[in-house]
Amino acid sequence: MSDCAIETSGLTKVYNGTLRAVDDVSLQVPAGSTFGLLGANGAGKTTFVKMLLSSCHPTAGSARLFGREAKDPESRRSVGYLPENHRFPTYLTGWEMLDFYGALSGLDGVARKRRIPEVLELVGLEERAYHLRLNQYSKGMLQRVGLAQALLHAPKLLILDEPSDGVDPVGRRQIRDVLQALEREGVTVFLNSHLLAEVELFCHDVAIIQKGRVALSGRVRDLTSGSGYKVEVSELPEALRTEVRSRAKGETTGAEGIQWMFATREDANAAVDLLRAGGCEIEGFSRSRSTLEDVFIRTVQSKSEATQ
Amino acid sequence: MNPRALIATGALVVDTFREAFARRIFWGFLGASTLLLALLSMVTTIQVGPATNDPAMMVRQTQGLIATLFYFAGMALAVFASSGLVSAMFEPGRIGLLLSKPISRTHLLLGRYLGNLLVVAVNILYLVGGAWLLFGLKMGVWNMGFLLSSLCTLFVFAVLLAVIVLVELVWESSAIATTTAFGLLFVSPILAQRAAIERMLGSELSRTVLKVLYFTLPRTSEISTITQQLIMGQPVVAWGPMVTTGLFGAAVLAAGVWEFRRKSF
Ligand SMILES: Nc1ncnc2c1ncn2[C@@H]1O[C@H](COP(=O)(O)OP(=O)(O)OP(=O)(O)O)[C@@H](O)[C@H]1O
Ligand SMILES: [Mg+2]
Repeated sequence: MSDCAIETSGLTKVYNGTLRAVDDVSLQVPAGSTFGLLGANGAGKTTFVKMLLSSCHPTAGSARLFGREAKDPESRRSVGYLPENHRFPTYLTGWEMLDFYGALSGLDGVARKRRIPEVLELVGLEERAYHLRLNQYSKGMLQRVGLAQALLHAPKLLILDEPSDGVDPVGRRQIRDVLQALEREGVTVFLNSHLLAEVELFCHDVAIIQKGRVALSGRVRDLTSGSGYKVEVSELPEALRTEVRSRAKGETTGAEGIQWMFATREDANAAVDLLRAGGCEIEGFSRSRSTLEDVFIRTVQSKSEATQ
Repeated sequence: MNPRALIATGALVVDTFREAFARRIFWGFLGASTLLLALLSMVTTIQVGPATNDPAMMVRQTQGLIATLFYFAGMALAVFASSGLVSAMFEPGRIGLLLSKPISRTHLLLGRYLGNLLVVAVNILYLVGGAWLLFGLKMGVWNMGFLLSSLCTLFVFAVLLAVIVLVELVWESSAIATTTAFGLLFVSPILAQRAAIERMLGSELSRTVLKVLYFTLPRTSEISTITQQLIMGQPVVAWGPMVTTGLFGAAVLAAGVWEFRRKSF
């Protein structure tokens, strides 16, 4: 029953009678998984998440969190949320802000006092900032304290809308480390993001939505696997090069040497035989995967061509 | 109430206070109250008042005057000071996170409403309680009716705040909400002259409309008469205005809750 952290069926949101921001989305996110929701600007990611949290009422369909109707406030008890474009009350300090949201999550005073410094340290906020008003925070600091807010009540499901927005590379790495540690503890992480490389590094499952509809979904490993083989050499005679090129899918020349892409293992091996016979040293041989970005661009383009 | 609900309610109230403290208008309210109290402390020493030999009567009359002042000036200040205090919560970027917490929308709105009410209650208590103490200490008159009158003021404010919240939810404008609250305060003494106006009205329909308006809208000016009667120690003749005004407030608050639950953010 509740082995799904998130389960939606036919979830739909229509704005102003015509704009289908989310259109008949049925998605299942198993408990303990790391799930990335990808999509271009305006694809409907934020609207989808808002319906999960019941801050936006669906036009049709339903959503469940751990088997409970999303409409039921109790369904959100073990959910941590970091909204996109949040504006935390600036009259509060970081500590006070956590204290407020922690209390709304049902933590008593003792638990809050214990947890607040823990999570602030976890997200890497400097101690001098604990008692600073939020209007003196930088964007990255706000993002960190926002993440701390989402973690405070030790949720089983984390819903993060563009969590590394405005965070520097070191900070992103830190956030990813935190999320990975949570994943090991069995926390389900649901991520909305544009940063495909980041999603690829962290999420095991993804769905790509376009114009409110799920265009593609699956395991990241499967989506990015098996697109070819790569052979690398540093230098070789021109005649040999012409011959190998004629068998390859593509060739790129860089500072490190020459790379060919082959469609099949047989082609790649045949090329290696040829190169070795010609006395050429092989620098590298690898199976190349397409990046999530390749998959994303391909999906988005093919779908928009189909609709035109 | 279960302990978690209590913790959440407390947090909502404390947060409303924090937000009020962060606003200049709140300190303006408090400053104005302090000024009034300072003025009052001088008045009682000079003993300016209507000519009478009975000090208790004199105090009561002065208190009646002050209560009327507080009632209208205080109400205006409270409405201004509360402008946007509840609706600050509805701002995009803020409401989404609040709604993601495991509490119902009704709880969230009423918690904030209660917070705002308590902010004003503290102010009124400071002003009326301070004045009451001054009169008691300087002239030895401890008039409970004067303290009770502050409850009437708070009651009327609670009704106006319900209107403000509903208007802010529907039209998303604090300016319209404040104007509506003042409109109700303004229209009440006019409606209170119902008998006189009725005589001027020709058609039966217009008389009915007047009657409906009179009985549904808050009867703030008649409630101010009740506060006077409380202060003067006179028997309160009719509690009707309190009852219909209370019903109006409850209905408007319920409509506000309904609208808040219905809304997508
Ligand atoms: N309150 C609203 N009223 C009307 N239309 C809205 C509203 N909120 C969102 N939309 C529309 O719904 C669509 C989806 O918006 P949404 O914010 O869900 O996109 P998103 O995928 O999160 O985009 P981004 O990557 O830019 O954050 C957009 O076309 C947007 O204009
Ligand atoms: Mg978004």
